[in-house]
Amino acid sequence: MSEFHDDYPSYEHMAHHSEEEGKKTRKTLWRVFWYMLAITIFELVIGSMAPAQGWSGTLGIKVLFIGLTILKAGFIVMAFMHLGHEVKFMKYAVLAPYLIFMSYTIFIVLDEGIYSGDPENRTKIDPILIKQQEDLRAGHGAHHAGGETAPAHGTEHASEEAHH
Amino acid sequence: MSHSTEIDSKQAWDGGQSPFRVSYGKMMMWFFLISDALTFGGLLTSYGFIRHKYADVWPKAENVFTHFPFVEQHLPLAYVGLMTFILIMSSVTMVLAVEAGHRNDKKKVIVWMFWTIVGGATFVASQAWEWYHFIVGTETGALRHVWSQELHTYVEQTVYGANMTVNEYGVPQFANYFFFITGFHGFHVFSGVMINLIIFLNVLKGTYEKRGHYEMIEKVGLYWHFVDLVWVFVFTFFYLL
Repeated sequence: MSEFHDDYPSYEHMAHHSEEEGKKTRKTLWRVFWYMLAITIFELVIGSMAPAQGWSGTLGIKVLFIGLTILKAGFIVMAFMHLGHEVKFMKYAVLAPYLIFMSYTIFIVLDEGIYSGDPENRTKIDPILIKQQEDLRAGHGAHHAGGETAPAHGTEHASEEAHH
Repeated sequence: MSHSTEIDSKQAWDGGQSPFRVSYGKMMMWFFLISDALTFGGLLTSYGFIRHKYADVWPKAENVFTHFPFVEQHLPLAYVGLMTFILIMSSVTMVLAVEAGHRNDKKKVIVWMFWTIVGGATFVASQAWEWYHFIVGTETGALRHVWSQELHTYVEQTVYGANMTVNEYGVPQFANYFFFITGFHGFHVFSGVMINLIIFLNVLKGTYEKRGHYEMIEKVGLYWHFVDLVWVFVFTFFYLL
C-alpha cells in the first residue's frame, strides 16, 4: 500500500476475490462481450444497407444507431470499467457532472444550429461555404470513383437540385 | 465483487471512512477521464453542427472507406468493422487482466496484458493504414475548385485524396474533422499502448507482486476502456450515420 493512500478501505481488503468469484466475474464479462459484438455486427449490417445518401436523413435509423451506441457505452462503463459495482456516491460523482455538461452542450448545439441554419442569420463566411456546397452539388466534385454508386450519386444530386 | 458492503448513507460523510470506497489514484483517474470525455464530447458535438450545415454534400462513409488489406474489391466499412472488433476485444482482454489481478494471478495478468497491447498496437496500425488510403485517394480523383495563390482565385483542378484544404470525396470539413477527431483518438490509443507497455514491464519485474496487489492494472484498465468507449461514439458518428 503506497504511503499516500487513505486506508479506507484498504485495496487488498476490498478488491481480492476467490477463484470461484473470479469464475463468475469472467462469465459476466464474456457475456457482455458477446452482447457488444452482436450489437456491432447488427449496426454494420444496417449500415451497409444504407441508401446512396446514407442513413443520416432517416430519423428512425439515426435514433436507433445513437440508442445502440449509448447502450454499448453503458456496457463499457458499467461492466468493464466497473462503475456499476462502485458505491452510489462514486457513481454520481462520475456520471452527474458529465451528463449535466453534455446535456447543456447538446442543447446549445441544437439551439445555435437552428439559429444559424436560418438564411436571415448568415455570417460573413457563409457565402463562401454556400458556394462550396453549390460547386459540389453541381457535380464539380461528383465522386468519380466508388464504382457502381457513382451514377446513382449523379442522379441523386440532380434530383436534389430540382427540389431546391 | 465481494466487497460491496453498502455504506450507510447517513454515516457516509461523518468521517472515518471513504464515502466513495475507492483509492485516491482510482478516483483521480476517473476525474481525468471525465474531463477527457468532455473534450471528446465537445469535439463530436461540433462535428455534428458542421455536418448538419453540410448535410447534403457530406460524403457517405461507405464510399470513402472501402479498402481492405490484401483484397482487390471494395468492401465498404469492412475494415473499420474489424478495427472496432479488435478494440472491443482488447478491452475484454484488459478487463480479464484486471480480474486476474484481483486473484493475484501473475501469469494470467501477463498473458492478458500482452494481448491487450497486441490489440492496441494493431488498432493504431490500422488507423495509420486507413489515414494513408484517405490521404492518397482514388486513381481517378475528382474535380474541385482549389484556391490558387498566384491567381488569387479559385481554379478547377483534379484533386486526389484529402488533406486539410481539399477533399476528393466531398467538403473539406469532413477531412478536417476526420483528421482531428480520429487523430486525437488515435493519439490516446497510442498513449494507452505505451502506458500498458510500462505497466506490463512492471508486472514482469514483479513490482505489483511485491506490493501485494494489482491495483495499477485496474487504473490503466480504466484508461484503456475509456479509449474503447470513445471509439464506440466515433464509429457511430463517422462511419454509420
